[in-house]
Amino acid sequence: MSNQQQVEKFMEMAGKVGAETVKLVDLQSVAGYIASQVSGQTLVPSTFLAEKHGLARLLSSSGVNVFKGDFRGADHVPAAGVTFSNFALADTGTIVLESTAEDIRLATTLPEKHFILVDPATILKDNLAAAAPMNVFHAGNDPVFVAYITGPSRTADIERVLTIGCHGPRELHILLVDGISDDMMEN
Amino acid sequence: MAGDATFKKSIDTAIKNPKLSEALHLFGDAYLVARQNAFHGLDFEEMRREMADIKDEVRINRKELLTEFITNAEKAGSTVFVAQDVQEANDYVINIARKNKARLIVKSKSMVSEEAHLNRALEAAGIRTAETDLGEWIVQLAGQRPSHMVMPAIHMFKEDVAKLFSKQTGKELSPEIKTLVNVAREQLRKEYFDADIGLTGANFLVAETGGIGLVTNEGNARLCATLPRVHIVFAGVHKLVRTIEDAIKITRLLPRNATGQLLTSYITWIRGTVPTDGEKKEQHIILIDGGREKLYESKACRDALRCIQCGACANVCPVYQTVGGHVFGSIYISAIGIILTAFYEGLDKAKELTRACIGCRSCSAVCPSGIDLEEIILHLRNEVTGKYGMGVIKNVAFKAIMKNRSLFHSMVRAASKLQKPIISKVSGGDSPPIIRHLPLHFMAKDFTEWRDLPAVAEKSFRDIFDTIEQHVENPQYTVGFFVGCGADFVYPEVGVALIRVLNRLQVKVVFPKGQNCCGIPALYAGDSETGIDLAKQSVRAFSDAEVDYVLSICPTCTMGVKRDFIKRLSDDPDWSEKAQTLSEKTMDASLFIEKILNGSEKISGLENLITGENVTYHDSCHLKRGNNVWQEPRNLLQSAGFMVTEMKNSDRCCGFGGTYSFLSHPQISKQITTDKVIAIAETGVKTVAMDCPGCMMMLKGAMGKANGSIRCVHTIELLAAAIVKTDK
Ligand code: SF4
Ligand code: SF4
Repeated sequence: MSNQQQVEKFMEMAGKVGAETVKLVDLQSVAGYIASQVSGQTLVPSTFLAEKHGLARLLSSSGVNVFKGDFRGADHVPAAGVTFSNFALADTGTIVLESTAEDIRLATTLPEKHFILVDPATILKDNLAAAAPMNVFHAGNDPVFVAYITGPSRTADIERVLTIGCHGPRELHILLVDGISDDMMEN
Repeated sequence: MAGDATFKKSIDTAIKNPKLSEALHLFGDAYLVARQNAFHGLDFEEMRREMADIKDEVRINRKELLTEFITNAEKAGSTVFVAQDVQEANDYVINIARKNKARLIVKSKSMVSEEAHLNRALEAAGIRTAETDLGEWIVQLAGQRPSHMVMPAIHMFKEDVAKLFSKQTGKELSPEIKTLVNVAREQLRKEYFDADIGLTGANFLVAETGGIGLVTNEGNARLCATLPRVHIVFAGVHKLVRTIEDAIKITRLLPRNATGQLLTSYITWIRGTVPTDGEKKEQHIILIDGGREKLYESKACRDALRCIQCGACANVCPVYQTVGGHVFGSIYISAIGIILTAFYEGLDKAKELTRACIGCRSCSAVCPSGIDLEEIILHLRNEVTGKYGMGVIKNVAFKAIMKNRSLFHSMVRAASKLQKPIISKVSGGDSPPIIRHLPLHFMAKDFTEWRDLPAVAEKSFRDIFDTIEQHVENPQYTVGFFVGCGADFVYPEVGVALIRVLNRLQVKVVFPKGQNCCGIPALYAGDSETGIDLAKQSVRAFSDAEVDYVLSICPTCTMGVKRDFIKRLSDDPDWSEKAQTLSEKTMDASLFIEKILNGSEKISGLENLITGENVTYHDSCHLKRGNNVWQEPRNLLQSAGFMVTEMKNSDRCCGFGGTYSFLSHPQISKQITTDKVIAIAETGVKTVAMDCPGCMMMLKGAMGKANGSIRCVHTIELLAAAIVKTDK
């Protein structure tokens, strides 16, 4: 599969599990997109890529209410969280996010909506292909927390009826932007 | 005996409340479709073989892997405790809670904590627990236990949930699912923040990294592992895998087989003391043995620990669909539940459950870890019989009558003359048991109300074989016919039809008269001693006959001869070799005709075939899942000019299950049969073909009462009828 096909497959599969997928040209349009979707408190963890690309600043200047301070002091259900990702899996529409830093975990588990940026160059074929980068995450003995995210939170526990948004985000927006970082160890 | 009575009563109650069973049927149907889509383009058989290998390797090297896991987890800051039993595990949790002055523990799903009754232990110690998995929370509020491993509250309806939630919130809530899910979201969110400890299970423990994995949809496990300062992992020791890659393979099978999802919303990999609120988390991993080592040590049952808890063996089980998980299970439910109950709670607790399994093998066919669940259940049933006996009627019948071939056969002959129950004078006991005709037919009185009993044929096959003339000009093969009780005494015409068809295809048939019942009915009732004796009789009879192949038109007998004889006689080198030789020669008649004789090509080439009608085909459990045969009879029917219209769930059990439908659980059986009768009627076709005399008895009987215009026939009979005029 060419990368182009892999990107198509990824978008198709992510769409099937209820994620929104959007291709955007740059970080500026990312900020614009997010600003059009949220009005409340937005958690933007300060990660390597967020700093590199000045994400929080871009969002603020587009009018997004970027939360400042300790994330544990934010609302129990903040309006949104915005993060980068490490890589993605085409065949299941999954995003992989190394989330050892607590802020990343809070920004992806608590909010109503999760916006996640993906560089199409990091889309792998399937979860078997994820074994190699997963092993790199686990090199050494440091504590690690890695999240695979496939669509929004869901449940079928009442009468087996699929219902979106049980404990995690009710919406997952995947924003594909070229050239963010093709290094799968960065987020 | 009290246990028996309670169990029967719970079955009655379940059957009188068809709402649950209807819901489980709908779920079962939808599940099969979703699962099939999820495995599209993948080789399930190959994947499950690989999973079985992964788990077997873990079993063999479990000590080494456990040490490796502990070392790596500790290096990353975790504290690991191996608990010998659930009591030790509970005490350990209470101890951690006390040290942390914890008042509230939020929990995500952990089946082992159900097994340990951890919540109860914690409450007794004054520590509140909040289940956060929606289904678990519902069950917790209702004061019940889960009735399914993946969907704990599958037995409840939205109205029930609305009532519970209304009580919990003090607001009148409408039974609207979205609203109810929102209520859970709001109520539980606060709990994560208030909790002092988050407790999760683990879907896998990776030895190589010292990390654990959680496979979830709701996102509650991530919150439990993130918000509280302390994280406790409560898991069974058997969740070990060697590498990340092996764990990934679990994630490829588990969601697909559990719910037909390609992947769950979240897979969470956690190793060690990740940061929490500016410091390091305190993480405790409690690994529980609780009977698992004993299970690993049991050669016959140990494969059960390959289980990845997908719950599929319940989804497809006709007994589960009929009575639900609260009746057909204990902590763990359905097929795997029977086995785990026997080991974790004691054989006594599993006694009735082993008898409630109908033996359809759907569970074995669907298991992603390649566990032959049905076979293990059968083994346990034998143990139950050994320990608790099997009840007077079966006992006398199997032991005294079945082993004595000529006595058994002459009794059947007598029965055929009288066509009514005969009284056994064979054995002790004050009230002699009533025996109706066949090893399969030890009467239960309420049985005839809903279906006709098959009449014993006037002359059994063994009595007419010598009178059948065989015309074979150039015999290609000589085959021995293993007739089986059903065809011998009830449907000898099927045997006659087989000879017609085989002769027409240049095959000569011999019938060794020393053969006896395959012994499966005895075995299924838990009487292995009689099973061994019967195996010897038939092995001897066929070893003496010089034949190229041995054919049966009963898939249960085929399984018996091919698989079980070898096992039953494995302790004796002489016998086991003979049994092996016989096994290699034995196959189902349709398979032989299609595979060895190239039958569909030959039959379609015959002149003067009588144009066939429209038929539908019922896959017998033991033919499809015991012998891997389902395409062959369809090919043959089509080659002979029949049109095959598929029914819904053609491979779902007909409810027969041998003595099951007559003695053990006629009520459950009746429900399962009713489903089948409806599926057949819905095709609008007037003939249903099948390749099993057991199914024929069941369906003919049920159709007789339900829909007399539908004819139930053996495939071989249809073939014989089609080729009748092709001779000259
Ligand atoms: S063999 Fe059939 S009845 Fe028995 S547990 Fe398995 S699926 Fe259920
Ligand atoms: S025994 Fe097999 S089918 Fe049943 S829950 Fe375990 S893995 Fe799934």
